Amino acid sequence: MRSAFLFPGQGSQYEGMLHNLPDEPVVKEVLEESSEILNTQIDSLHSKKALSTTKAVQQCLLIASVATYRIFEKNGLIPNYVAGHSVGAFGAATASGVITFEEALKLVTLRGELMEKTCGEGYGMAVVLGLDEYQLSEIVNKHFLDSEPVYVSNRNAPTQVTLSGSLTGLQKIVDYVKDHGATSAQLLNVSTPSHCPLFDHVSEELLKELNRLDLKRPKIPISSNITSRLLMQADAVKEDLAKSICNPVRWHDAVNLLYESGTQIFIEMPPGDVLSKLAQQAFSEVRTMPISKYSIEDCFYVMSNS
Amino acid sequence: MVVKKVEETTKSWTTRVEAKKERVDSVKGLVDGVIIPTDRIVEVLERLIKTGDRVVLEGNNQKQASFLSQSLVQIDPKKVHDLHMIMSSISRPEHLDVFEYGIARKIDFSYAGPQSLRISQMIEDGKIELGDLHTYIELYGRLFIDLIPNVALVAADKADSSGNLYTGPNTEETPTLVEAAAFRDGIVIAQVNEIVDELPRVDIPSSWVDFIVVADQPYELEPLFTRDPRHITDIQILQAMMIIRGIYEKHGVKSLNHGIGFNTAAVELLLPTYGESLGLKGKICTNWVLNPHPTLIPAIEAGWVESVYAFGGELGMEKYVEARRDIFFTGKDGSMRSNRTLAQLAGQYAVDLFIGSTLQMDGLGNSSTVTRGRVAGYGGAPNMGHNPGGRRHSTDAWFDLKTSDDPLARGQKLVVQVAETFQEANKPVFVESLDAISVKDQAKLAVAPVMIYGEDVTHIVTEEGIAYLYKSDSMAERREMIASVAGITPIGMEHNPKTTERLREKGMIALPEDLGIRRSDAKRSLLAAKNIDELVQWSGGLYTPPAKFRSW
Repeated sequence: MRSAFLFPGQGSQYEGMLHNLPDEPVVKEVLEESSEILNTQIDSLHSKKALSTTKAVQQCLLIASVATYRIFEKNGLIPNYVAGHSVGAFGAATASGVITFEEALKLVTLRGELMEKTCGEGYGMAVVLGLDEYQLSEIVNKHFLDSEPVYVSNRNAPTQVTLSGSLTGLQKIVDYVKDHGATSAQLLNVSTPSHCPLFDHVSEELLKELNRLDLKRPKIPISSNITSRLLMQADAVKEDLAKSICNPVRWHDAVNLLYESGTQIFIEMPPGDVLSKLAQQAFSEVRTMPISKYSIEDCFYVMSNS
Repeated sequence: MVVKKVEETTKSWTTRVEAKKERVDSVKGLVDGVIIPTDRIVEVLERLIKTGDRVVLEGNNQKQASFLSQSLVQIDPKKVHDLHMIMSSISRPEHLDVFEYGIARKIDFSYAGPQSLRISQMIEDGKIELGDLHTYIELYGRLFIDLIPNVALVAADKADSSGNLYTGPNTEETPTLVEAAAFRDGIVIAQVNEIVDELPRVDIPSSWVDFIVVADQPYELEPLFTRDPRHITDIQILQAMMIIRGIYEKHGVKSLNHGIGFNTAAVELLLPTYGESLGLKGKICTNWVLNPHPTLIPAIEAGWVESVYAFGGELGMEKYVEARRDIFFTGKDGSMRSNRTLAQLAGQYAVDLFIGSTLQMDGLGNSSTVTRGRVAGYGGAPNMGHNPGGRRHSTDAWFDLKTSDDPLARGQKLVVQVAETFQEANKPVFVESLDAISVKDQAKLAVAPVMIYGEDVTHIVTEEGIAYLYKSDSMAERREMIASVAGITPIGMEHNPKTTERLREKGMIALPEDLGIRRSDAKRSLLAAKNIDELVQWSGGLYTPPAKFRSW
């Protein structure tokens, strides 16, 4: 039975999250290493104030997921596949050995800073339930205005799709779809219009940084954000890491591909259980185990006996 | 003039059998007679299969030669590569892994539902060369014409030490695949769950089989045709009532095939209740080509069913079937015999009616179950879901669909499509243009993957009513009939109430009330069994449902 580890993206963070990681020496090592690389105290990363910035959120998500992954790695429990949602892809690439943890932490720091700088006030994201990407794209294209751009962004589930762009434009689409087939539509509490062309510039800067690194061939195949293909080459991972921020995350397809490749166990790195819920809803017979809800020992047991 | 025989001595007419002998001889040191040791299977496959071979691998939508597929994926692509795989169903990850690893290159298949995203990506990325998509019968037919296999890898329940095979209730397509290889000097390798001294019966004789191998685990078998009555809705019951009154009773449908939708499961469960109240027992639904659906148990027990011929088995139904020998096709040993090829042919030529659900239909009645970005193929529905031009015998229902007095006029197969006007999440079923068209472009297919063509559909049933499409040859009128039962979908919004009224008066469409059905009567209490436990009770404890369907 094949297994996959999932690395969450923005939205799963919460105050004090780095104190809730499994109590293992290897986790402490990662936290200390993070503190040194960033030259800051861990507590200053996951405070309520810090988590209001995109940079700290992305740093915390990477630290929490990779620290937890290290426990499995140390015990020789390597999954067949990895996948990370948005910034989670950097955790997945670290687990797969394409980039080091230090490189990943610096990259997500840069990514967070660039995202904060690139768009000013008045941008964000929304989520629409009950319409599929094709229906939503038709509506968004029909209403598109250069002055208040809106793009269809992440395909999290067949009928759970996000929009990114200008807040005024988003509000208009949200109001429209509520009367035209959506079961629900609302603005999200994020201040960056991720995964749309407004972030082309961020992508270019990230690519420059990635080009300076000596990326290694993935040790574990990675299901990608942009193309939902299994990545086996370093260059393909580089492209996915750089371009994901200005392209939609095809998360449902990325997980569907893992499922069709034989994955029956999905273990979600902390924080949260959003990705587990999506996988369970899409594929009822798979087993999902978010570390936030299960003990490490339970996950060890299931992985060792699968 | 004298015609000379040219170079008579140099031409051999036995190259195939000689090549086969060479291959078989190459594994002499590895095998014990016809038995391949389980742990030598990969090595043996590397010698028996040659680069470029056409390999038919048994994977239909129920039974899988899972040990052989897992072994095939382990062979060294440096030794064997560029295989041309022929599979009725691409169901397991390793079915496509053989392409990822460079062992196989080309595929011809029927159905790929469980691997539909992956195969679509691999076609798009050029990692797999697509021969074509087929219906089951077409693919089986080509096994004897231009897709003749060099090697057949199949699954059986038991073998004896001579290589006779018992395939039992899940015989399915094994005899067809074996026949195509065995009688054309191909190599037949069967995985078996066990070798026994005496078989319950011989389904495939040893002279058709070259090698057997005991699998490390029993072959994979999926209970695909079990529908839990708990999930049947009132709308599906309303549709089932309309189907019974407005189609089966109206035309006197006696022989038929049902799809696997919950609406047709509802029909099966309404026969002993609603059907009985209409006095229809013995007049409709007597002879079936159908897998042993658990939801058919109450109708069988209530005496509705005379015969059932099956494509394959259904997990948990084995004992029940054995105990109802008068109904099912069984061997001397008592266990059921299925045969997918013959059942597909029976469903194509010998039944009055095919009825199935669809996910999408256009204004002309063309329907498809594809989703964008996925290549799922066809399976067997199109074989049964059309009016076979070669049919010459008449039955009451078939003859009842004759619409002309022309001296050469003939009847028609009933092809019924059932749909609720909206799928989940507000997706209209009735649309201007099928997603199949974008799948065609994306996967570079020659033809759009339409499951049932509008020209073949005789009836459409929605929660709104029935459209009797066979009554009109006019495309414009057929479109109006479809619009009249398409609810508030884009197609349905075209309908004009006056037209609908006219069509009702002419009997071109029927609403529930026209059939004497009160919508408020369509309740779950009409179901002969409301859950799996009640099906078990109807069967007298003979039906033993797989664990995932047990709710107690």
